Amino acid sequence: MSIQTVEIKPIIPSASKNFWQTYRQSRLGIAGLILLLAILLTAIFAPLLAPYDPKSSEGVGAGQVYNAPSAAHWFGTDDAGRDVFSNFIYGARVSLIVGFFASFISVFIGGTIGIVAGYYGGRTENILMRFTDTMLVIPDLPLIVVIVALTRPSLLNIIFVIGIFGWTTTARMVRSQTLAVKSRKFVLRARAIGAGRAHIIRHHILPLVMPILVVQAVLVVSVAVLNESTLSFLGLGDPTALSWGQMLNYAFARGAMSTGAWWALVAPGIGIIWVVLGLILVGQGLEQVLNPRLNTHHLMPSRPTIKSEAAARSGEQVLLEVRNLSINYINEGQAPACAVEDVSFTLKEGELIGLVGESGCGKTTLMLGLLKLLPNAGQIVNGQVYFKNKEITTLSDDEVNKVRWRGISIVFQGAMNALNPVRTVGDQIAETIIKHLPDFDSAKIPARVTELLDLVGIAAEHKEQYPHQYSGGMRQRAMIAMALACNPEVVIADEPTTALDVMIQAQILELLDQLRKKLGLAIIFVTHDLGVVAEMCDRVLVMYGGVTAEYAAVDTIYNTPLHPYTQELLKAFPDLTKPKKKLSSIPGYPPRLDDLPAGCRFAPRCPAVFDRCRTEQPALHELAGELHVVSCHLVEAIK
Amino acid sequence: MSQQNILEVRGLKKYFEAGRPRLFSRSTRRVHAVDGVSLDLRKSEVIALVGESGCGKSTLSLLLMGLEDPTEGRIIFEGRDITHLNDAQRKGLRRKIQMVFQDPYESLNPTQTIEEIVAEPLQVHGLATSRQVTDEKVKKAMEDAGLKPAEVYLKRHPHELSGGQRQRVVIAAALVLEPEILLADEPVSMLDVSIRAEIINLLAELRITRKIAVIFITHDLGSVGFFADRVAVMYLGRIVEIGTMLDVLERPQHPYTKALISVIPVPNPRLRHERTILQGETPNPIDLPTGCRFHPRCPVAIAICKASDPSFVTLSKTHQAACLLLVK
Repeated sequence: MSIQTVEIKPIIPSASKNFWQTYRQSRLGIAGLILLLAILLTAIFAPLLAPYDPKSSEGVGAGQVYNAPSAAHWFGTDDAGRDVFSNFIYGARVSLIVGFFASFISVFIGGTIGIVAGYYGGRTENILMRFTDTMLVIPDLPLIVVIVALTRPSLLNIIFVIGIFGWTTTARMVRSQTLAVKSRKFVLRARAIGAGRAHIIRHHILPLVMPILVVQAVLVVSVAVLNESTLSFLGLGDPTALSWGQMLNYAFARGAMSTGAWWALVAPGIGIIWVVLGLILVGQGLEQVLNPRLNTHHLMPSRPTIKSEAAARSGEQVLLEVRNLSINYINEGQAPACAVEDVSFTLKEGELIGLVGESGCGKTTLMLGLLKLLPNAGQIVNGQVYFKNKEITTLSDDEVNKVRWRGISIVFQGAMNALNPVRTVGDQIAETIIKHLPDFDSAKIPARVTELLDLVGIAAEHKEQYPHQYSGGMRQRAMIAMALACNPEVVIADEPTTALDVMIQAQILELLDQLRKKLGLAIIFVTHDLGVVAEMCDRVLVMYGGVTAEYAAVDTIYNTPLHPYTQELLKAFPDLTKPKKKLSSIPGYPPRLDDLPAGCRFAPRCPAVFDRCRTEQPALHELAGELHVVSCHLVEAIK
Repeated sequence: MSQQNILEVRGLKKYFEAGRPRLFSRSTRRVHAVDGVSLDLRKSEVIALVGESGCGKSTLSLLLMGLEDPTEGRIIFEGRDITHLNDAQRKGLRRKIQMVFQDPYESLNPTQTIEEIVAEPLQVHGLATSRQVTDEKVKKAMEDAGLKPAEVYLKRHPHELSGGQRQRVVIAAALVLEPEILLADEPVSMLDVSIRAEIINLLAELRITRKIAVIFITHDLGSVGFFADRVAVMYLGRIVEIGTMLDVLERPQHPYTKALISVIPVPNPRLRHERTILQGETPNPIDLPTGCRFHPRCPVAIAICKASDPSFVTLSKTHQAACLLLVK
C-alpha cells in the first residue's frame, strides 16, 4: 500500500547480516574486495613481506642496475640497484595512505557542503551550489599540479591538496539525497516534536545520507590514488616517500625505457591498476546492497505453472472461472510462502464481484495470477483459470498476451504512479490501443481516444493534457479509460478508490456501475473496505491469510455471515445509523505469509476459537441452498 | 476568554503565493488555503475537522502546530497569543501540542529503533534526565499507546511493524511529552478498515485517561461518529457547518454536509440509498467562485448564491451553518 520514495536504502544496524548476504551476491564486488584486501594486507605487513630494505641496494653488486627479474629479485632491480618488488610493497603504503586520507577530506567537505546546502536551502544553497559548480568546471588536475608545485611537496601537502579538490561530485549527490530526505514526513514530525536543525541533521538526515557517503568515499580513494601517481610521475611527489607514482617517475627519468627495463615501469603500473580496479568493484558491490532496485528483475520471465489435474467443472456457462488456484512465492533457500491457497470463484457477464481482505491477504497476488503477471518469485502451483472456457494458466506468454487487456484488463491502484508523467493522457491511451490491437485502423485512433475519455466522463479538451494537470479523480478515470481501450469483457479494479476522498470515491463507484450496465462489463472489485462493496456488488469473496474465508451473495455476507472474520470485519465498520456505537476492532494482526499458523489462519485472532482450530485447517464447507462457502469448523454443526 | 477553552482560533488566514499569471504582470496570484477560520477547543474535547482534499484542513493543522506562519488571525493557547513565536519560544509550547501524521510508513525514520523514536522527544526537550526516567517514560507512553509489553518492540525497526503498530509508535512518541492537545491529521486513512477502529478507539481512550483534547482531521465523516464531541465541516478554506456530532450527523443543514453524509458507504446492501454525488472536485483555491463558494457544485443553489457570500446562521446553541437558504 505504501509507496517507497527513498532512492537509497538506509543502513539499518540489525540488517548487517542481510548486508553481507546481499553483497555476497555481487561477484564483481567480491572480486574487488579480495583485490583490495590483498593490497591492504600487503601494505600493512610490508616490513614482513618485503625481501629487502627498499632504500638500500644491499644484496646487489655495485653497478648492477636494471637487472632483469630473477629468483632473487622477482621484479628485477631499478636504476640504483634496489629491489623493485620491495619498492612495490612499500610503495603501496604511500599510495594508499594518500588515497584514504585525501578521500576522507574530500568526503568530509563534500558531505558537509551537500547537507548544509540541501537542508538550509534558499540563499545558502544558492551560494554553496554555485561555488560547487565553479569548482566542478575548473580542471582540477592542472590546478593541483600548480598548487603542489608552488608549495613544498611534502606528503601532507599532497594529501591536503588532492583532498580539497575532490569533493564536488560528493557534494552534489549528498545535496540531492538531503533534499529527498528533508521532504519526508518523519523530518516534519521531528520538527513538530520541537527538534532543532542540528538535531534533525544528526539524527534524521545523516543516517540516510550515510550510504552515499560510504560509496563516494570508496570511489574517491581511487581518484586520489590516480592523482597522487600523476603528481609523482610529474616529479612533484614527496621525494622522501616512495610511492608507485614516484617509482614510475624515477624509472622513466632514468632511462628504464632506453635500457629495455620494462619491469621497473610495469610493477608500479600493476599496483595502480590493481587498487583502482579493486576500489571500483567494491563501490559497485556496495551500490548493489544500498540501492536494491538495481537487482530486481521485473523483466525476467515468470516461473512456469505447475500443471494440475482439473477438477470437474460445473456445466454452467460463465465468463471467468477460477478453480482451486494456489500461488506460492519462492525465495531461494527458504520455505515457499503460500500467498494464495485453493481459491475458487466464478464471474458471469455483467456481474460485479467484491474481493475483500486486509493488506497482505493475497488479493493482489490472486489478481496478478489470473493474468500470469506475477513477479519472478511467484508461481502458480495448483488450479486453473478458465476464461471463456479456455484454460489460461498453462498458456504461453504470447497466448496469454491475447487475453490480457483484450479479454481481461486491470485498473491499478495509485493512478499517479501508473501514468507516465511526460506524455499526454491521450497519447498514453492511444499507445494502449496500438500495443494491444495492432490491426486497429490508425486513422480512427484519435476518435476512439475521445470516445473512451467521454465514456469515463473526461471532456475531450483534456486529451492533450499531462497527468499532473489532472486531479486525483480524473487520473483514476483516465486509468479506467485505458483499461477499456480494447473492449475487455472483464475488468479487475484493484483498490481503485483507496487514497481518494469519499466524494471522489463515490464518483468512481458510480462510474464503474454505469459502465457495467452500459457495456455489460464483468468487474472484480478488489478492496479492503467492506462498505464500498456493499453498495454495488452481486457477490463477495472475503479472503484471509491467502485462503477463502467466506464466499456468498452480498446480502448473505452482510446480514447472515458465518465466518467469525467476516462478522468481526463488519463490527469494525462505523455504522452511521448508530453513530454512538463504539467500534470493535479485531485484536492482533494478519499472519505473515511465510509464517502461517498451523491450523486455521484466523485462529490467533478469532473470538470463537477452540482447540481444533489451532491444529487443523478447516475445509471449505459449501452450504446447501444458495451459494455460500465458509472455511470454518463451526459451520460443520450447521451443515 | 472562556476559562474552559484550551485553544482559540480567531479569523485565521493563510495565503500562499502562486506565482504571477503572466510575465511582468504586477498582481500575484494567491492560493487561499485557509481563509478565515475561527474555532474553540475545550479541555479534553474531541473535535473533528472534515473536508475533501484542498479544503485547507492540512494547512490549518500546520498553522496550529506553528509549522507555517499565518497570514492573518490569531491562535490563543491557554490564554496566551501564540500566533507568532520564534523557535525558542515555541519549543516549550511544542510539548503541549503534539501531532499524529497521516502516513505511518513515511513518518518514522527507518534507521531508528522504536525506542529511539519514542525517546527522541524527551532528548529534544532535555527531559531525558537519567536513563531510568527515560526508560520509564518511554515504556509508559508505549503501553498507553497499546504497544504491550513495550519490551517486545523497543529494539525493533519500523519496517518490522505493521501499519497499525507504526501508527501506535507515532502516537507513543507524541504521548511521551504529555501533551494537552493531540492534532491527528488523517491518522487512519492509510490503514485497513479493520485496523482503523483500533486506532480510533485508542484516541478515544486517551482523551479519557489522559484528558487530552483531540483535533481529528479527516475526509471521512463516517469515521468520526462515535468519538467526536463536535464536528466542523470545511470547504475551500472555511468552516461551513459546525455543531455537536449529533447536530451534524443527524440534522445536517448545509447542502455540502448533506452530500458528504449521503456518500458514506453503508455496510448493508439492504440499506442501499440515494446518494447525492457532487460532480467535479473542490475548485482551485486561487480563483475563488463569487458569492457562496459552494454554489457551483451545490445541488440546491439559487440565483442569490452566486452574488452573496453567506455568513454563519445560528441554528441552536451548539449548531451553526453558513448557507443562504437557512436565512429566513
